[in-house]
Amino acid sequence: MTRLLASQKFRRLAFQSGFIVCVGLVVLSAILVGHRNIAAQGIATGFSFLERTTGWPVNFAVIPVTAGSTYAWVLWAGLLNTMLVGFLTLLLATLLGLVLALFRVSSNTLMKLVGTTYVEVFRNVPVILQVFFWYALLTHLPSPREAIRLGVVVLSNRGLMFPSATLSGADLLILLAAVLMTGFALWIPARRTGAMLRWSLAGVLLATFFAALLLSFREIGEPLWSVPELKGLRFVGGITLKPEFAALLIGLVLFGAAYICEIIRGGLLSVDRGKLEAGTALGLTGFQVNRLIRIPLAIRAMLPSLTNQYVWLMKATTVGIAIGYPDYFAIVSTSINQTGQTLELLALLMAGFILINYSISFAMNRINDHIKIKGRS
Amino acid sequence: MKNTFIGLATAALVALTGASTAQAQGQGLLDTIITRDSLLCTGHNGSYLGFAEVDAAGAWQGFDIEFCKALATAILGSPNKLQVIPVSWAQRFPALQSGDVDVIVKVTGWTQTRDTELGLQYSRPYFIGPFYVMAKKELGATGIADLEGGVFCVNAGTTVERVLTDYMASKGIQYESLAFEKGEELRSALYAGRCDAIAGFGPFLSATRVEAPDPEAYQILGDVLALEPEGIVVRQGEDDLLDVINWTVSALLMAEESGITQANVDEIKANPPSPTIARLLGVTPGVGTRLGISDDFAYNVIKAVGNYGEIYDRTVGDGSRYKLPRGLNNLWNQGGLLYPLVLD
Repeated sequence: MTRLLASQKFRRLAFQSGFIVCVGLVVLSAILVGHRNIAAQGIATGFSFLERTTGWPVNFAVIPVTAGSTYAWVLWAGLLNTMLVGFLTLLLATLLGLVLALFRVSSNTLMKLVGTTYVEVFRNVPVILQVFFWYALLTHLPSPREAIRLGVVVLSNRGLMFPSATLSGADLLILLAAVLMTGFALWIPARRTGAMLRWSLAGVLLATFFAALLLSFREIGEPLWSVPELKGLRFVGGITLKPEFAALLIGLVLFGAAYICEIIRGGLLSVDRGKLEAGTALGLTGFQVNRLIRIPLAIRAMLPSLTNQYVWLMKATTVGIAIGYPDYFAIVSTSINQTGQTLELLALLMAGFILINYSISFAMNRINDHIKIKGRS
Repeated sequence: MKNTFIGLATAALVALTGASTAQAQGQGLLDTIITRDSLLCTGHNGSYLGFAEVDAAGAWQGFDIEFCKALATAILGSPNKLQVIPVSWAQRFPALQSGDVDVIVKVTGWTQTRDTELGLQYSRPYFIGPFYVMAKKELGATGIADLEGGVFCVNAGTTVERVLTDYMASKGIQYESLAFEKGEELRSALYAGRCDAIAGFGPFLSATRVEAPDPEAYQILGDVLALEPEGIVVRQGEDDLLDVINWTVSALLMAEESGITQANVDEIKANPPSPTIARLLGVTPGVGTRLGISDDFAYNVIKAVGNYGEIYDRTVGDGSRYKLPRGLNNLWNQGGLLYPLVLD
C-alpha cells in the first residue's frame, strides 16, 4: 500500500479518476434530484409531446407547415429557418467583409475612409438595434394597396414580391441536369478542348434546356411565370421575400461583415511584404499577386478567428424572435409555452445549436488542417 | 487524497438532496410566504396594458397587479409586502415551477394541458376574457370573414394562436399569422401596417387601440373568437395558498355585491348590517383563522385596493383610459358571470 502511494503514477491516476467519479456523481445526483422534484410537482416529462400536433401556425418555413403538423416537424422547420438565414448570413457577410477589407488595405484614401467608417458604424451598434432598425424601415413601406411597383417587382410592407418561374418537378430535374452538364463542360481543362469549344458546349446545353422547358413539359396556355397580383388584402403568386426574413438577414450581414472585414484585413496584413514584392518582381500583376500569393497566405492566418466569428453569427440569428421571424429559438420558445416541456425543449434547443455550430467548426478545422503549412501546428 | 474527494462528493450529494427535501417535504408555500413576509407575484416583461404596466414613476399597476396586492394584503396585511417579478408569457410557468414566483396572476387561460401536465392548479376564474379581432378601419371589414387573406398578428406562445387557428379553420378563412414575443413589437407592427389585424384578448385590444397614434383608425370587430376563463395559478398541491386566493377573490366580489367600498369599509365595519358582513370584515372571528391568515383579511384587502368593481373601474374600466365595459365581468345580478362563494 505504502509502495503504491509512493508511486507518482498511481497517485496521479487515483487523483484523476477520483475527480471524474466525483464530477459524475454530482451530475448524476443533480439529474436524479431534478427528476424527483419534477415528478413531485406532477409535471409530465419525456419527449412524447413531439408526436402531438401543435395547433398553431408558423409564418415562414421552407417545408410545408400547418397547424396540424407535429411538434417534431415544426421544430425541424424552425431549425431549417435558422440554417437558412444563418448560412446566407455567413456567405453574404463574408463576401461583403472581403470587399470592405480590400477597401481598407488599399492605398486609395477614399476607399480606406469608406471601409473604416463602415466598420466603425456597424461594429459599434448592437446587432438587435440594427435588426430593429431595418425591420422598422421595411414595415413602414406602403401597404399592399399602395405598393411601389418597379416593373414586375412589387415592394410593400408585406415584403418584396417578384415573379417566379412556375416549374414542375420534371422541369426542376431538367434544370438540375442542365446545370450539372454545364458545370462539367466548364470543368474540362481548357488545354484539352480549347475555350471556344467549352463555351459553345455550355451554350448548346442551356439552349436545349430552355427549348425542352418551353416545348415538351408544359401544358398549352400555362404561363411560364407567376406574377404577383393584388387580390383582396394580399398579393397572390410569385415569390415573397418577407420583411422579417429580410430585416434579420440585412441586419446580421451588415453587422457580421464589419467583424469579418477586420479579420480578413488582419489576415491580409499578416502576409510578409517580401513575398508580395517577390511576386511583383516575377512580373505578376497586382491582381495575380493578390490571388496567388496574398489571399492563400492570408486565409491561413484568418481561418481560426473566422471560425469563431461564424459560430458567433450563427448564434446571433436568435434575435429573429424579436421581430417575429420563426427561427429555431422562437419555435422552441413558443413550444415551451404551449406544452410546458421546458427542460426537454431547452435540451433540444441546445442540441440543435451544438449540431449546427459543431458542423461549422468541424468543416472549418478540416479546411484549416488541409491548407496550413505542413509541419507547423 | 482520495478520501478528501469522497468526502467532497458525499457533501455535494447531501447538499443537493437536502435542499430538495426541504422543498419537497417541508412547509407549504403559504407558510413560506408568511415566514418570508413577502409575496412574489408575476409582472410582465414590458407592459401588458391595463393588466400589468409600469407607470412613469416605475411602479407597477394594472388589474393583475391589483390582485397581487390584494393577495399580499390578505396574507401579510399590507399591499407593500409584494415583490413583482417581471416575466414573459413563456417564462411564467417555469418561473412558478422553479419557485421564482409564488403565484401567477397574468390573465392565464384555464387549459387542460396546463392544469394536468404542467402540474398547475387554477383558482376560480377571476376574469372572463373574450377574444376578438381588431382591424384597420380603412379595410372596411364588418366581420372577420371580410379579412380573407390578411395578415393577423398575435402574441407568440399564447392561447390566442390556437384560438385564431381553430376559428379560421372552422370558417374556412385563409389568413397569414405572424407571432411576436413582446407586446411592444406586436403593437408597432400593427401601427406600421405590417398586419391588417391583430387577434387577442378584448382588454388588450382596447388598450392597443388607445395607445395607437390614431385610435380612430382601428375597430374591434363584433365576432367573438372564443371565451377564455382566466384563473390565478399556483403549483399543484399548494392547497392552502389556493384556498386563500379563492376566498380573497370571493371577498372582493362579496364586497361589491354588498356595496362595501374602500371609502365606506370603516363605517360598515363599525356597524355591520348583517351577520355575513360581520364575518366578512372580521367583526365576528373565524373566517381568516380557517385559512391560516388574519380574521380581518377581507377588511384589509378592501381598505387597500377596494372591491372588485373598484379595481376593475380603476385599472381597465370607466375610471381608466381604456374604458372597457364590464360585460361578462359583472356580478351575476348585473348580467355578468361572477359571483361570490357562501361565507358561513
